[in-house]
Amino acid sequence: MTLVASSTATRLADISGSLNVIHDPEQLAAYEIDRMLPAAAVKPGSRDEISEVVKFCAAEKLAVVPCGARSNLSMGAPLARYDVALDLTRLDHILAYDPGDLTLSVEPGIPLQRLAGVLAGHRQFLPLAVPFLNRATVGGTIAAGVHSPLRQAYGTARDFLLGLEFITGQGAHAKSGGLVVKNVAGYDLHKLMIGAMGTLGVITKLNFRTFPALSATRVFTASFTSAENALSLRQRAVQSPLRLLTMDILSPGAVEVLAGQVAARFEAGPAPVDRLPPGKWAFHATFPTAGTATARYERELKHMAEESGCDWCEICGDDRNPASFGRLREFVPIVLESSPATVVVKMSVRPSKLGGILASVADVAQKNDVRWAAAVGGLGVSYFSLLPSARDEQARLSVEKICEKVLADCARLSGNATIPWCPSEWKSSMKIWGPERADFEQMRKLKNVFDPVGILAPGRFAGGI
Amino acid sequence: MKFAAQRLNRIHHGAGFAALHAALAICRERRIVWLPLVDAPERRDYSAEGYSRIKAICAAKMNAKLLHDLKELLGPDAVLHRPEELMLYEYDGSVETARPDCVVFPRTTADVEGIVRLAQQHKAPLVGRGAGTGLSGGAIARHGGIVTSFARMNRILEIDAENQIARVQPGVVNSDLSAAVAHLGLHFAPDPSSQKACTIGGNVSENSGGPHTLAYGVTTNHVLALEVVLPTGELLHLGNSALDSPGYDLTGLFVGSEGTFGLVTEITVKLTRLPEAVKTLLAIFDTIDDATETVAEITARGITPAACEMLDGWTIRAVEDYVHAGFPLDCAAILLIDVDGLREVTEVEAAEVEDVCRVHRAREVRVARDARERDLLWKGRKNAFGAAGRVSPSYYTQDGVIPRTKLPATLRRIGEISRKYNLQIGNVFHAGDGNLHPIILFDERNQQQFRDTVAAADEIIAFCVQAGGSITGEHGVGMEKDRLMPLIFSEADLSLMQSVRGIFNPEGLLNPGKIFPDSKGCGEIYARPRREGAAPSARQS
Amino acid sequence: MSSTSSEAHTDGGNAGRQTAPSAAQSKRSGFSGADKPEYADYSRCVHCGLCLNHCPTYRLWHEEADSPRGRIRQIALVDEGKLALAESFVEHIDRCLDCRACETVCPSGVEYGKLVEFARAQIETNYRRPIASRVIRDLVYRQLLPFPRRISIAARALRLYQRSGLAPLARRTGILRLLGLRERERLLPKIDSDFFFNELGRLYPAHTARRARVAFFAGCVALVTFSELNRATIRVLQANGCEVVVPESQRCCGALAAHAGVRDVARELARANIAAFTDGHFDAIVTNAAGCGSTLKEYAHFFPADDPNHARAQKFAATVRDVSEFLDDLGLVAPMRPVPLRVTYQDSCHLAHGQKVREAPRTLIRAVPGVELVEMPLADQCCGSAGVYNVTQTKASLELLALKMDSVRQTKAQAIVTANPGCILQLRAGSAIHGTGQEVLHVVELLDRALAPQGW
Repeated sequence: MTLVASSTATRLADISGSLNVIHDPEQLAAYEIDRMLPAAAVKPGSRDEISEVVKFCAAEKLAVVPCGARSNLSMGAPLARYDVALDLTRLDHILAYDPGDLTLSVEPGIPLQRLAGVLAGHRQFLPLAVPFLNRATVGGTIAAGVHSPLRQAYGTARDFLLGLEFITGQGAHAKSGGLVVKNVAGYDLHKLMIGAMGTLGVITKLNFRTFPALSATRVFTASFTSAENALSLRQRAVQSPLRLLTMDILSPGAVEVLAGQVAARFEAGPAPVDRLPPGKWAFHATFPTAGTATARYERELKHMAEESGCDWCEICGDDRNPASFGRLREFVPIVLESSPATVVVKMSVRPSKLGGILASVADVAQKNDVRWAAAVGGLGVSYFSLLPSARDEQARLSVEKICEKVLADCARLSGNATIPWCPSEWKSSMKIWGPERADFEQMRKLKNVFDPVGILAPGRFAGGI
Repeated sequence: MKFAAQRLNRIHHGAGFAALHAALAICRERRIVWLPLVDAPERRDYSAEGYSRIKAICAAKMNAKLLHDLKELLGPDAVLHRPEELMLYEYDGSVETARPDCVVFPRTTADVEGIVRLAQQHKAPLVGRGAGTGLSGGAIARHGGIVTSFARMNRILEIDAENQIARVQPGVVNSDLSAAVAHLGLHFAPDPSSQKACTIGGNVSENSGGPHTLAYGVTTNHVLALEVVLPTGELLHLGNSALDSPGYDLTGLFVGSEGTFGLVTEITVKLTRLPEAVKTLLAIFDTIDDATETVAEITARGITPAACEMLDGWTIRAVEDYVHAGFPLDCAAILLIDVDGLREVTEVEAAEVEDVCRVHRAREVRVARDARERDLLWKGRKNAFGAAGRVSPSYYTQDGVIPRTKLPATLRRIGEISRKYNLQIGNVFHAGDGNLHPIILFDERNQQQFRDTVAAADEIIAFCVQAGGSITGEHGVGMEKDRLMPLIFSEADLSLMQSVRGIFNPEGLLNPGKIFPDSKGCGEIYARPRREGAAPSARQS
Repeated sequence: MSSTSSEAHTDGGNAGRQTAPSAAQSKRSGFSGADKPEYADYSRCVHCGLCLNHCPTYRLWHEEADSPRGRIRQIALVDEGKLALAESFVEHIDRCLDCRACETVCPSGVEYGKLVEFARAQIETNYRRPIASRVIRDLVYRQLLPFPRRISIAARALRLYQRSGLAPLARRTGILRLLGLRERERLLPKIDSDFFFNELGRLYPAHTARRARVAFFAGCVALVTFSELNRATIRVLQANGCEVVVPESQRCCGALAAHAGVRDVARELARANIAAFTDGHFDAIVTNAAGCGSTLKEYAHFFPADDPNHARAQKFAATVRDVSEFLDDLGLVAPMRPVPLRVTYQDSCHLAHGQKVREAPRTLIRAVPGVELVEMPLADQCCGSAGVYNVTQTKASLELLALKMDSVRQTKAQAIVTANPGCILQLRAGSAIHGTGQEVLHVVELLDRALAPQGW
């Protein structure tokens, strides 16, 4: 341990107690990000301690990365520096929950699953069915900006995060929004914090709108020989009066992955995806059951699927769909484990352009001989994952070529593309945050306001922030 | 009185927050106006900088050269500058007033860029305006300068039915967009009460809500991308018509920034599919508590109505007198509930809502059978404010938010405040989301009553905050509630927000004197009767 | 008070002593006399702006000064002595169509029509218009319209011009353009060959068992330009069981004078009409002109509440019915033959906004077998006719007409149905100018066509 590291640890111990400071390199391995280790990790127990830690780091110009369960730390560009891991898992309390008001205020370190248990007691839930659900914390989920298949019906955190409290890069307490569902007082700074990956502040409190729990749901799956047909079912479903809870289109590769052994490890039990014919495109949707509406959903989905030229379709009841929904939710973790060097490109285009982009990516992946799997959300946001069979230079070159083409195609169709997940050693040669955008300049200015010293996860965010 | 005024003047030449604090003390002592909590002694003088900046801006005269250049740029028809024309841009839908130095009507983004360039050159304040229906003074040129009216920038640029997206100029009227896409089975979901007149640009600035935002969300939930001109002259494209634009959510930040970041010149919005079926129920209650418990239980049963509105007894009587909808005059509250969606689902939900109402002792539940009956049931709600206008020379509509569970307590408190000041207060709520609109009736000719109205309104808002709520749910802060911001935000919060504003609007040329209490300190505090443009709030000019 | 600004009222000490309009005390109101906009009326406006997008002139120019809210503000400012009753004020009040679409959307129930008519009365008495304008206004409102015989003489002269070949000659030589009358000439009514003077004083029996006894209000200009419409109205009423009386001593309703601010003439006409219709024991006084109807229904506005005429006017107004409203209430009983026609309905402002009658004409149209009613967008937006607006504000009127014809075109209708003679003239001109080819009919003309035996 270097002298600097040791003095850092000492100071951190002063703030949070030595029991809550880790400086043993072996234990610090758990805080590794892109093969970098911090000098110390600290687990503050209160907002004030966080503020103290940040103030100290700002004074010493030490780079701090806030983290929770650390499930999404591999996202983003490589850090410029990494001195202190700010572990927020001790801040894991529910601060306020008013089921009658459907509002909830929590600390960032609370695991989503534990929170879900509490909400379920009041027949409510948060529509944050995100990857790594079994361990992810609320704060990490919001900071990473990952979304859920339920986005189709409930939107993203942007739509139900009511307010935030956070510590700025100078250690100041700040807040925006409130704990009421409707509020237009002040600027919506909390929207900036969603997906900011800890670069603007350390989240200390999150306020959410909760939702009545879903009644029983059913899963509809249909199989198609072409992406076009599956997409035409999407279009029909969107234009119908039906209100689907989830809607995704799976490439043949995605069907294979989700029905495979890795997937079963994440979500065991029989799942409708297991029964999908291999080598074909699939349409996967969840819908609520409610009296006579159930039959109507079933009838109309089947009818629309037939009109769209499906080969096969099926409706599964309650017993099977948790697994199916779970595997879809865990698509990213599953693909990450399905190859030694998985690269995931997040693509977003207007839905009518999905056909074009999918044809193009399939073509380029095939030409470069890389296995791929795509899960395409009904709203036009897709996870296109490349699953090379080896983690070597040749694979890197192929993947890079494919990614370049995908990014260019998305840009051409006025869409967005980023590479949220990628092997660490490949990151430097990839456009992790996509092409430079004109508004990155404003973002850099924002960063400078929130974190003038530049100590919060430096380098990890878009535009070199 | 002379004495007080002299002291005020002296103090304001001294400037700054400390001065403001002293001024407030005088106001209180002289009962000029009641300003809660702003004058907490420990507050740092974070307004000094803002004060001198605004002072400088105030000094910028609308010189002939600027007018000439504006006319050159836009044509003579697009520039108003004669006093009799400017008098008509002193107001918006709120009770605030201030006169601009000129009004311009751009038609294109390039026009707006040109206007901003000239404003920059002449250091003239710049304020955007849609239809001027706002309720917090957002479109009012508090410190004079150029009002940029977007009324003529009202073209729908693109309707992409397949992807349910529309691209519009800011001056497009909210309901005109919905009408233009109705034949495609779509609509623009945010529905402020002024939707037939207000513009989408204004909705974006204020992050407008409405009765149906309970299920559909407010404006920010429906905006995908913006084209904005910053006061520095820079043209920016924020967000994208495709979802999840990389980087910070600047679009989300801009929506609701009350025109203090940039002038919006183009807006890309989501269009929402019209529901297959809508069921409207109207339930009549003998006690307020029954009505509020009904709202709670509807929620508890897992139903999210598309709208859930409540009128209290006094409002019902005022409305009944005018619309003759057959509301019993002795009832305490009515609930108006919309459920929508799939036909089968709405049937079930409507039956369930009806059941909840009956369980909670609703005297009567009416269910609309068709669109005509639905309109009739909604008529009472839509005319609530007008009905108040018919019984009183003036009324002041407040906008506060509380947790829904605090509804009964809040109503009781409003009752107490009403008695304390001997003012009639009617209550119209978006009960479903805890957004209340107390209507305080007063006679503007009676100065004391007018001051009491302000005091009562402030007490109501203070109670909302105490109950865990907010000072505004949908009207915005503007120049109406800037002084109330410290009720919910600390100095550090406000100063961070101001720094964020500084990124886009470094010189404070854009919509100065809004949102932040730093705008105080430019002159004398006085209360004016409404006819004069007066505000039931403290104003300085 | 130390305040130098008239706006700064600060002292708590003199609370309650202020009276409205408080600040105006220091300045003189620009209004005078009895016929003026009242504080109680204009202060109802809370400047919410809901009217803006419904105002045809705001939609054209998007300026507050030409919006209902802006006009009310100008009225208030003049009353407070802060705005001169001068060119600017007159210009914006003149530009108002008085279509009252704003009243329909106003949540506070501002009686805008009343305000603007009073403002015009003030302009009439307190503002000196250019000499030409004064002469023409005097001629039309004071010397012509109140006198049926003079209308008849003027109509004969105009008919001579239209039929003699002078009209085409005038058009060809460009003399009209020279006089600035080219557009206006196109909007002029075509004079009937057979005037509606002989019918005055007659009684028309019901064709079936008598279901009602009604008085028919025939109008003034309509006597010489819409005699056929008047006759059709009587036929339709007869066919549906009404005994129709056409009182002989009836006069012009006074609407045009009232809208122009010539209230003394309007008031005189109101008195004459109330007298003419009083003793007939009618179930209703029926008119086919929405503009007349809304004025007849508001005769009470002409008299202060303590004037005995006020009560008389109220009683009179209570029996006035637009023909659509009346027939819809009564119910159609006459058998009708199919009229295969795709039509669209243009709400006449003074029916929809002035009298709040929207459904009745539509119900009647739908009752005609074979007729398909296709709604046009913004059907309740003014077509630009607005009494004499198309003559006084020709440019704006034609712009509004162009927008209207665009809406009509979208419906692919073969005919436009409306409820007011003025609108009919304007829409006929629109159909000709824009080459859209629609026939323009009054609701009762459509009904009459369905009644008429084949080949009639």
